[in-house]
Amino acid sequence: MIRLKRALVAGLAGPAPDPTAVISALQSAVELEHATIPLYLYALYSLNPAKNPAIVEIVQSVVIEEMLHMSLASNVLNALGGDSQIDQPGFIPFYPGPLPGGVESQLKVHLAPFSMAQLQTFLTIEQPEDPPVYPASVASDEITIGEFYAAISSALAALGDGAFANPPRNQIGPDLMPECVVVTDVASAQAALAIIVQQGEGTATSPEEGVGGQVAHYFRFMQIQEGALLVPAPGQTPPWSYTGAPVVFDPTGVYPVQTDPNVPPNAYGAGTIEAFANDNFNYTYTSFLFALDALLSGQNTDAQMNVALGLMMSLKGQAKAMMSGIPDSTVFTGPSFQYQTVNPAA
Amino acid sequence: MSYLNGTRLHFAGRFQANVSTVNNDPGHFDNAAFQPGYQQLQGPGMNPPNGWFNPEGDAAWRFLGCNVTSAWMNGQAVTTADPVLTFQIADSDSQAPAKLVDLDPEQQLVSTIWGLQVRIADASGNTLLLADFDPAGFIDIWDRATASSGGDADAGAMYQSVLTNLRWSNVASSPFLLALQAAASTGLLSIKFNVDSFNLSFNSPDFMTGRITGTIGPASAAEPRHLVIGRQFMAFASPPSPKINFFMPVGGINFCVAVVDTVASCIYLDLGNAIATGVGGALVNLGDLTLSVYNPLLSPPAPAGSLITIGTVAATGAGGYATDPDWYSRTAGVVAIPVSANLLPLVQQSVLLLSGNTGILITEPPSGAFVRADQFVYRMSPGDSVSIPFYAMQYGKPLRQVGISFVQDASGLQSQVGSGFPFVMDSPPVSTPPNSIAFAGAGSTDSNGVLNLTVTASDPGTPRNFGISPGNPIGDYGIDGQVYGIRASFSDVAQYGNNPVNPWNFVSFLVWSSFTSKVPNVPTWYDDVQPMFQQYANLYPVMNRFLNLGNYNDVLANVRLLQLAFGLDPSNPNSMPVTRDLSPAKRRTILAWLANPIAGTPPAARTTTRTANPSTASNPASMKTGGKAMAAARRLALQPR
Repeated sequence: MIRLKRALVAGLAGPAPDPTAVISALQSAVELEHATIPLYLYALYSLNPAKNPAIVEIVQSVVIEEMLHMSLASNVLNALGGDSQIDQPGFIPFYPGPLPGGVESQLKVHLAPFSMAQLQTFLTIEQPEDPPVYPASVASDEITIGEFYAAISSALAALGDGAFANPPRNQIGPDLMPECVVVTDVASAQAALAIIVQQGEGTATSPEEGVGGQVAHYFRFMQIQEGALLVPAPGQTPPWSYTGAPVVFDPTGVYPVQTDPNVPPNAYGAGTIEAFANDNFNYTYTSFLFALDALLSGQNTDAQMNVALGLMMSLKGQAKAMMSGIPDSTVFTGPSFQYQTVNPAA
Repeated sequence: MSYLNGTRLHFAGRFQANVSTVNNDPGHFDNAAFQPGYQQLQGPGMNPPNGWFNPEGDAAWRFLGCNVTSAWMNGQAVTTADPVLTFQIADSDSQAPAKLVDLDPEQQLVSTIWGLQVRIADASGNTLLLADFDPAGFIDIWDRATASSGGDADAGAMYQSVLTNLRWSNVASSPFLLALQAAASTGLLSIKFNVDSFNLSFNSPDFMTGRITGTIGPASAAEPRHLVIGRQFMAFASPPSPKINFFMPVGGINFCVAVVDTVASCIYLDLGNAIATGVGGALVNLGDLTLSVYNPLLSPPAPAGSLITIGTVAATGAGGYATDPDWYSRTAGVVAIPVSANLLPLVQQSVLLLSGNTGILITEPPSGAFVRADQFVYRMSPGDSVSIPFYAMQYGKPLRQVGISFVQDASGLQSQVGSGFPFVMDSPPVSTPPNSIAFAGAGSTDSNGVLNLTVTASDPGTPRNFGISPGNPIGDYGIDGQVYGIRASFSDVAQYGNNPVNPWNFVSFLVWSSFTSKVPNVPTWYDDVQPMFQQYANLYPVMNRFLNLGNYNDVLANVRLLQLAFGLDPSNPNSMPVTRDLSPAKRRTILAWLANPIAGTPPAARTTTRTANPSTASNPASMKTGGKAMAAARRLALQPR
């Protein structure tokens, strides 16, 4: 379970929370939800899908939901009159480092190929609270992700329906992204945040709390740890167990990409095959953030969604090639996920 | 008005053209004979048959590290006080990369850039101008490198187009950009760039990249988008030889163009794709290049009279094109040569000549006349008509009411006689049946020097299916439609002549076959869609990163994305198929099927299989290196059938 800085929720408590503070906390939520995406994508595309199909499917399903969570948090932020800022140099966290808003001493995350050790990081990020305690009973500089979202949710209630733009303002609806929630009042805003909490971080301990037919992220990742899919176990306690189809990790099905490719000595030297592929990727990733920012800033159209999807497909194609040794089968390049607004020469 | 203008900027850097090469061999389009090895990177000597030098290419076309290297306002060099000299030319930062696409496996020599956005960005990458590049194919490819590493790496070529949909940010910090913005009141800018030094080594950081230099300037809405109304310098071709892949000008200088600016009394001459290169891409010293004009006026076709020097482009010394290592990137090959006022009248009505060391020479044609289509790549369905503007000019001015003749000319299309290494089978015939494009054999330009030629396409059938035989008269699923060429020339040969001929100056057509699903309006996977998707899966291994396009279940799992990608306009960088070779009829069929993905009945197992017949020689004949060189070697002009 990761811990966030209590400062993230400053100004949210009480009967009259500061709307600016709520918007600021939601911006932190957008950044936090985004920050897991590079981690998971790095692991995902480091895997040879022919050798690790089950793990690929699990990680992929989580990553897609993290993108949904980012959009949900942005919807709430935009409904309050704010503008989610994701096309900024500082938006992508530096890896290795703490997650945005995270307590620095607590968890440092690394861009790393998939391994059982990296899985532990994923489990730590997604670990639910047990038992859920809102609000924290102990005064501390740290809060859980569950507390973070609970604090925002309470502040939203305190702000009241009048604080929300209606008709909807800069919203991603389910027409553009399945399961997304158009936020126009307290109830829809809390529903949006509840999806984030239930699907991912900070849910109760039962995997049955998942929505959309999928269990929460922690339990999905635990299937890899336990080596089997989670299945119902009626009549037993608990009424589920990791005894389904095997989830086998084949370590030979991981491409030998660097860990932390943006830190010396692993950083790619100028003029190398790795640097060229990495620059192309980073430029496309930055372009994707720009496209997403436009989508979340009022260009919430099918056409703009298609532009963003097109960039996602381009990123996927590039990542799968560079990480799997294409075009040079002796060179495996993991993308460093850095902000880059033009493409330099090789 | 074009990029050859007193107000212009030059840029230089590198570009990426990450084309896939599995489709370089027309035989790879035969689903029934396709082998998994055809998706593999080529091995030594290209034996056994394989996917050539970049089978995993994704077709991305990108600007890499392109910087503004100089700029000119009304003929005056912009100084460093103007921040434009710190700016960059970049592609899109808000949509997927552009794509470079052949017209057809049997016309690979007009590869077109689709979905390119061009940005002028400041040093931090902030966009000052965002514009759309009107899709354009390359032209005037030649054997530019003299320090040969073989094949495509030796090639130089150029692209000319316009930028549309101009979106300017606040450019007040740059007087030059303010001037360019003011000059772009038509909503257009003219852009031209030269590409060379392409790298085909998969283990190099420069793999699938090359050098680029270019120019951006104003454009006139009344002028062609891909052609300069100017002074056309025409090169004669050296006779074919094994060492020549594309084109070698007899006089050592490739096709190039100039514009006379009578107000500024100067000539803008574009040598960007005209001067050969030596070691490391340095421009070869052809001697000081002297621009001259014939006097007295010629009486065509025999040039006569004395030459009067207009000016010289210095080869050596400070700023010499052959000795200043920055000259090419700084100028993109464009020079402004002052013309003395007393020469201007003569210059506007007599032939120009550019010459250097002994034997280095290129001139306008004796008549000073030239004709070319603006856009020279067309894709058509049966029943489509296109109106193709041809521009005739003489001494840089529109040539009015002049007769132009048109003939079908397949000489630049690419097939091959017999089975030749490394091709896995005979190429299907091109340009047959001949009557699937119809057009008038002659016409006359209008008062603007323009002739709009109407070309109408009819169904060519499926002449490029595979395995056509008496027992299988339709043949098996093959290469869609047929390719054709049309060449224009002056009808009055005595007055205007038609030599030298630029072999690349013709219009290429892909005419698609008509198509209806086996059960009309109810396409099924097995009957209709699987063969198309299987062919794309075979030819574009990049698809394997997303799905197996030949697999029904995989396709079903990705219906939404496929609906999106197949529903996009071809100008969109994400449009599927990336090759832009899918007919509208087949596209409609695919979209109808995706909306109602019926499996249908699997076909009966083939009773006969077809195998490719690649050369098994242990020491196959030496081959050209690269896709363009191999395509050029297969032109009908070199292989009469």
